[in-house]
Amino acid sequence: MFTPGSKLFLGLTGFAVAVSVIYVALVDNSMGGAVTLLFIAAGTALLAGLTLFNRDGDVAVGATDAPAGAEQLTASLWPLIATVGFVGIVVGLITHPIVFLLGLIALLAAGVEWLVQSWSEGASSDNAYNASIRGRLLQPIEFPVLALVGLGVVILSFSRVMLAVQREAGAIIFIGAGAVVLLVGTLFALKPNLKKTLVVSVCVISAVGVAASGIAAASNGKRAELVAANAEDHFSHKDCGEEKNAHFDGTAQGTISLRSSVDATVELRDGKLIAHELGIDKATQTITLTKSNNATIIFRNKDNKEARLTAYLGTKAVQTGVVEEVLDCTQMIGKGHEQALTFKIAKPSMASVKPYTLTVPGLEGQSIEIMVP
Amino acid sequence: MSTKIRRITAGISGLAATAFLASCAKNAPQDTWQPKGSNARTIDNLQEPVFAIAGVIGVIVLCVVVYCVIKFRDRGQAMPEQTHGKPALEIGMTILPALILAGVGVFTFRTVFELAKTSDTQMVVNVTGQQWWWEYDYPAQVELGITKPIITSGQMIIPVGTKVLLRETSRDVIHSYWIPALNGKRDAVPGRVQTLRIDADKPGIYAGQCTEFCGLSHANMRMETVALSKEDFAAWVANQLTDAKSPADKTLAKEGEGVFLNQCVRCHQVNGLKKADGTPAIAAPDENVWAGAAPNLTHLMSRNTFAGASWDLLSQKCRADVWGASSETVGKKYLAGVSEACLNQTDLRRWLRNAPAMKPMYSDPTKLTPTNGKYRGMPNLGLTEDDIDKLVAYLSTLK
Repeated sequence: MFTPGSKLFLGLTGFAVAVSVIYVALVDNSMGGAVTLLFIAAGTALLAGLTLFNRDGDVAVGATDAPAGAEQLTASLWPLIATVGFVGIVVGLITHPIVFLLGLIALLAAGVEWLVQSWSEGASSDNAYNASIRGRLLQPIEFPVLALVGLGVVILSFSRVMLAVQREAGAIIFIGAGAVVLLVGTLFALKPNLKKTLVVSVCVISAVGVAASGIAAASNGKRAELVAANAEDHFSHKDCGEEKNAHFDGTAQGTISLRSSVDATVELRDGKLIAHELGIDKATQTITLTKSNNATIIFRNKDNKEARLTAYLGTKAVQTGVVEEVLDCTQMIGKGHEQALTFKIAKPSMASVKPYTLTVPGLEGQSIEIMVP
Repeated sequence: MSTKIRRITAGISGLAATAFLASCAKNAPQDTWQPKGSNARTIDNLQEPVFAIAGVIGVIVLCVVVYCVIKFRDRGQAMPEQTHGKPALEIGMTILPALILAGVGVFTFRTVFELAKTSDTQMVVNVTGQQWWWEYDYPAQVELGITKPIITSGQMIIPVGTKVLLRETSRDVIHSYWIPALNGKRDAVPGRVQTLRIDADKPGIYAGQCTEFCGLSHANMRMETVALSKEDFAAWVANQLTDAKSPADKTLAKEGEGVFLNQCVRCHQVNGLKKADGTPAIAAPDENVWAGAAPNLTHLMSRNTFAGASWDLLSQKCRADVWGASSETVGKKYLAGVSEACLNQTDLRRWLRNAPAMKPMYSDPTKLTPTNGKYRGMPNLGLTEDDIDKLVAYLSTLK
């Protein structure tokens, strides 16, 4: 009833289940390890089912015309990879979890590949046939995984390049790369008789080129402004004052695509600040926002001077007896530019001694009051 | 007549009778076929002819199917000659439905664009959904007498014959606002502001229901829109703009104020309420409730319902008096609020005693870890009967 292949996988399944039970009972009852082992059990059970279903690839093991265990074994790299994986696990335990993870993946992958290869080589004396049944079993897994890894490498490499070059150059590279991909893809589509080796060569060389560029870019580091912004914690700290900040304001975007779900629009024009609330036609100096809810305000600068919109959102206690103002702001933007500002006010207006406001730092006598009922 | 046919006939008759009897309901405040405002009427003007067309087609299709089933049923006869293709019929049966759907589509699109119109808005209300009640805040609109924002919940008050724009959003999950008599439904989505226009032809109270499943008490998330005459609306606004007054010393209500300050002000705001040191008592629902808000109770007794409009503050008799009032008198009756004689003490006390028992809000209060210890609704505060007496006395003063 059971084929040799299914016996092997059923044995592994039973072993994994037994180990998971022992693991929970003796090692760790937090279930994390047991879940991993049970996943392995599920995987081997699936393989057992598959081999049982297709009777080990329809190979009549032991038949006189297909003697099992023929001596024409092929060379295998899997033992070497398994060893590398094992070493990775050990080194990873000492150094870094990512090394451990990569080692584990290598060990598991090598283990499965090695097992299936050994099993398939015992199927018949015909190496080509053995390779085909191995492929039938493993290629549905290998191809998607390799494609995913390949794509990941290309994307990661490309992202390193984009982080290393200047912003303007990045845009040109992005457009150029996209255009080349489109052009080459169109060429391939229009010339279906192109040699397969040529197509594969172009793809492989391109991928290697992108990967090499990525490695070079990563070793070169991110562009200076990003390094400086990281060093000054620019991404978590906003400078909401009158002065232009080299980093916070350095990468200001002047356009936004947001058009719906805007609570109000605030415009700076001729030195005056005016607001328009959603649904109310006329300009106003007060807007009403619901409390404990994100509100989005669009700021449009129609003045000649660069400006930012700063929201005063009350105070918060930073330590006993010490309170500081809560501010949020857009970046400094020039004439004709716009930015969105999203914030939340948890307490009604009556909770704040000073009214909640929207102002432009440096512009005296102009403010929009935020009323929170 | 065979037993089988008798059973089928009885079944169809039963279904038809059920449908007919259901259409006879007198008290059906959420009937989509009785529009009471221009937007609802616009929808009704589309749905009635579409329903008629669909009904006629449905009946024809049903008759043809029944005819074929009976006429060509298996009697053991020989298999008829099989044919393939009838171009004229196939093309006809494709073009005809396409034409009908195109016709319906044209009128549907026209209706959709008509309903989306907001340029002639006369009043704006922010409508915010959260588990499981609706908050309404009215931005300052001086021409309507709203000199500073007003906040209320459960019942939204609008002036009759006024095009009101609702700016809908949500603080937690997706809800959907629907007053069938006044317009279609619109989802309230966290992080988004969606607009819906309503207006009412006549003064009255129009019932609605959240129509997007939003958690345990979705069915208890109700809402009402009260349309008042312009004069009555002005009177309502004038009252809402005032702060609550502290009850006289040495009264049960004054003691209730103390209980309120100890227990309720953690989440519920009462404008004008002061702490013992004279500073304003500010509620902090953002620290205690997952949605970050709880109903403002400054004018609790000016509305007829509580707990997401699911329970009446008015006794059954008084409620019937207000809801059954004519359009000429409903405003005055509504503005009278909840008098001591009309207060539905039974439900209010049950609510104060153990709110989650009336309205399921969280399955197990010991498992609030996923919400950082914050409740999704009012918890059981473990109040004593003495505290409840005092609180009811205090809440009754919040007119």
